[in-house]
Amino acid sequence: MVSKQTTLAEAIASVADDSIVALGGNTLHRAPCAAVHELIRQQKRRLELVKTAGAYDVDVLVGAGATDRVSAGFIGFESVFGLAPQYRRAAEQGRIHVKEHACYTLITAMRAAAQGVPFLPIAGMLNSDLMQVRDFKTVQDPYTGQKLAAVQAIRPDVALVHVQEADELGNGRIYGSVYEDDLMARAARRIILTCERLISAVETARIPELTTIPGMLVTYVVVVPQGAHPCSCSDLYSYDTDYLARYIAACNNQEDYQRWLMENILGKVAAA
Amino acid sequence: MHEQDTMMVIAMARLLRDGERAFHGVASPLPMVAILLAQRLHAPNLVYINITGGVNAHPESLPQTTVDPRLLHGSHVIFKLADIFDMSARGDLDTAFLSGVQIDRQGRINMSVIGSYAHPKVRLPGGAGSAAILPTAKRTILWRTRHDTRTFVEQLSFVTASGNVDRVVTPLCVFVMRDRYLQVESIHPYSSAEEVRQQTGFTVQTAGIPFTPTPTAEELAALQEVDPERVRLVEFKI
Repeated sequence: MVSKQTTLAEAIASVADDSIVALGGNTLHRAPCAAVHELIRQQKRRLELVKTAGAYDVDVLVGAGATDRVSAGFIGFESVFGLAPQYRRAAEQGRIHVKEHACYTLITAMRAAAQGVPFLPIAGMLNSDLMQVRDFKTVQDPYTGQKLAAVQAIRPDVALVHVQEADELGNGRIYGSVYEDDLMARAARRIILTCERLISAVETARIPELTTIPGMLVTYVVVVPQGAHPCSCSDLYSYDTDYLARYIAACNNQEDYQRWLMENILGKVAAA
Repeated sequence: MHEQDTMMVIAMARLLRDGERAFHGVASPLPMVAILLAQRLHAPNLVYINITGGVNAHPESLPQTTVDPRLLHGSHVIFKLADIFDMSARGDLDTAFLSGVQIDRQGRINMSVIGSYAHPKVRLPGGAGSAAILPTAKRTILWRTRHDTRTFVEQLSFVTASGNVDRVVTPLCVFVMRDRYLQVESIHPYSSAEEVRQQTGFTVQTAGIPFTPTPTAEELAALQEVDPERVRLVEFKI
């Protein structure tokens, strides 16, 4: 078997501008931040981001100008820091297209992609204004005539997923909450996997039921300790409140923000 | 005299029933505390489900973000968010906690935008799962840590979700859904009928409405055990 291990720079270089990029994790937890930072360093443009609930990862990609479309159910720093500053400003100024979802419609869209069908029906949704503004269609149950919301498939070009452990073949183990990472991995055309530490393929074969991300679907695996920082990584580290507070503070004006990007992302080299 | 955060979580906990399945999602410190409190008081068999996938978790410490993997601690399983949505969709979720930046008389919520959808004055986070959960969960308890005429409005900027709202708990009162509209059910002891009327953007009837029962010593002691660091206050800072 051929090793899929590479550097972060090489892995991210394979992501084309205009790609649909799914981001693993949820809000401040196990987001693939090292990979996100590398997207910014490589000056990617016009990415479409896909995530059920995003926070720092989506906000910093918006702030750095890497994306112009965001498909998500929720973007915010929860009660910790409130609204996502770059995201909300870009949306209010019309610089990004907010493709608002309910988290369940995003899950359904990825399920449809994983199953190779163009859409799937779901319960709920019908009395939401999202049906009109987001142009969700309805479908009639051919058996009973019941009207259901029909969610169109979303097939990400690439899923960026960060896990605690992986082998060089790309078999990834997630400890703690899985969020939508398993589904994302099956919906996307390719997976770029980052991991806190490399384990042997003998070890993953010893307990295959611990493997959530199937290596056969993974294109690249990169070892990046602290690869979710400033977000949390279950059992290893919590989110970095100080870093995030500095980030939020830097969002107050454009000059501070550009300096912050330079000092924390653009002026640094990839750690792996 | 009890402060708003304490009255609110106790009022929310009292609404939960023993044996039912209750869920909270992202950005939900008050529901997190209320569910754990109800389990300790009158609902030991309440099934606590949260967005991390935790089922009946008993966290060692309470996080400020309710997607935190700390909310898995003690769970015997990871029941993922997709599983939770499916459970609600098939009619097996008893109670969901949801919130809205704006809430109208019909208990509909806006979590999307202030102003027009295409050119918003304020872009809000989005409703997370609410458009799917609110119409499918057997009942939803809404909560909001702000009670003013900008929150409880006659007209929503946008209907992010509408559905099976049962109660709304605010810093001033508890609303109950009756005859398709929110009615004041009880007014918190430190507030008044006048204040509730003044701070609500739609017309409400407050004549003869009782006060919410004052927190008991037992409730306060249990709350102190569940949330000793008063993590719930984080919702009042934003």
